[in-house]
Amino acid sequence: MDKRIWAVGGGKGGTGKSFVSSGLGLHLASLGHDVMLVDADLGGPNLHTLLGMRNGHPDLGDFLTNRVGSLEEAAVETPYEGLRIVRGSENILFIANLNHYKKLRLLRQVRQLAAQDVILDLGTGSSYNTLDFFLSADPGIVVATPEPTAIENSYLFLKSCIMRVLKLYMDHYKIPDLHQKMLEQIEKNSRSLYSFFKSLIESDRSYGTILYRALRNFRPCLIMNKARDEADAELGRSVVDVARRYLLIDIHFLGAVPYDVRVHTSLRALQPFAKAHPDSAAARAIGSAAEELIYAVEHSRRTPPEIGFPNPR
Amino acid sequence: MIKRIEDWTYYELLNVERTASPEEIREGYQAALVTYAPGSLAAYSLVTDDERRQIVGRIEEACQTLLDPERKQTYDLSLLKRSYYYAPKAPFRRTVGKLEIDEAPSKRGLWQRLRRLFSRPKRMIGPD
Repeated sequence: MDKRIWAVGGGKGGTGKSFVSSGLGLHLASLGHDVMLVDADLGGPNLHTLLGMRNGHPDLGDFLTNRVGSLEEAAVETPYEGLRIVRGSENILFIANLNHYKKLRLLRQVRQLAAQDVILDLGTGSSYNTLDFFLSADPGIVVATPEPTAIENSYLFLKSCIMRVLKLYMDHYKIPDLHQKMLEQIEKNSRSLYSFFKSLIESDRSYGTILYRALRNFRPCLIMNKARDEADAELGRSVVDVARRYLLIDIHFLGAVPYDVRVHTSLRALQPFAKAHPDSAAARAIGSAAEELIYAVEHSRRTPPEIGFPNPR
Repeated sequence: MIKRIEDWTYYELLNVERTASPEEIREGYQAALVTYAPGSLAAYSLVTDDERRQIVGRIEEACQTLLDPERKQTYDLSLLKRSYYYAPKAPFRRTVGKLEIDEAPSKRGLWQRLRRLFSRPKRMIGPD
């Protein structure tokens, strides 16, 4: 069976990325999967705390400074059967500025981990490191909350992902002039992505096809966390609709996780929320998102995305 | 197919199938209105106010048209006329490449060649 690598990210801090990562990991482990959580939040790691663990060695920093030979050796058991974790580094100042070589080594080692499911918990922001970890996963999961700031940052994060995908392809095909043109056009307004592709396909159909195919293959997922009412839950579908029309990407909406005040109390008690309140609506929503993800990933591997070109008229 | 806002059909605007019932059209209309309503979070920062107003106007137009059977029929016909025409392909061959056409024998003398190909050598019947 293929290894599944999921990355949980998003533009804004405090949306619940680590909460969702730990919930997904615990649910998969409870289904009998062999799961590895990797705290790739280089600037502020705290995934271990959500699992009721303390920081300590070995951790991700030990792997990156070659104190341990492989990422596998940096993993430790959690109190929950089937779930292991690579804790984030205490040496934040050093690790947050990961160089290109170390990033590639980490990505390679993530793929070599001896676990059926690997979940990367990413940090806030749209740095190249975060974007590359997000794009290396299949699929990446954006966690947003129903607030303007979170939605704005999620769109920004998705836009950055799109630009990064296109830039990687442009670098590969050695067309840097196009990258500058793209940056200039896409900065202008939200509809510019459409105009960029339209003009590109008109001027150079072969490059246009390659880049458009690359864009359509980027299919992230979305979880709307801290939903307080029905409208918040429906917001996810609206975001998917807007992104399809304006960012030209298909997002898979995994559902809304209801707001629960007990998340805070379980965190204070250093208890994983999914274990403390397994029957809560929030824990069940994350569980069903995990199961849908298993299906979605399998499904997306079977069916390629619809490739249609911007209308030539 | 990805299009400009001006090119979205009424069905695409409301996210419904062409065979949608009036009830489904109403549901699609409500969902689309929520997405692009003033102050909508989903449109925040990505869709400008002018674009949003334009889309809401088209959503209203789409709902009124699709819920009126006569106007819906006229609109469906206009969509059919606007749709692309794909020339029918030869049923016996999947693709006709340029190379094949170039290398194909000329039409001159085709019937003679066919006759020669399918004609059987005459057999003499009886003792001779």
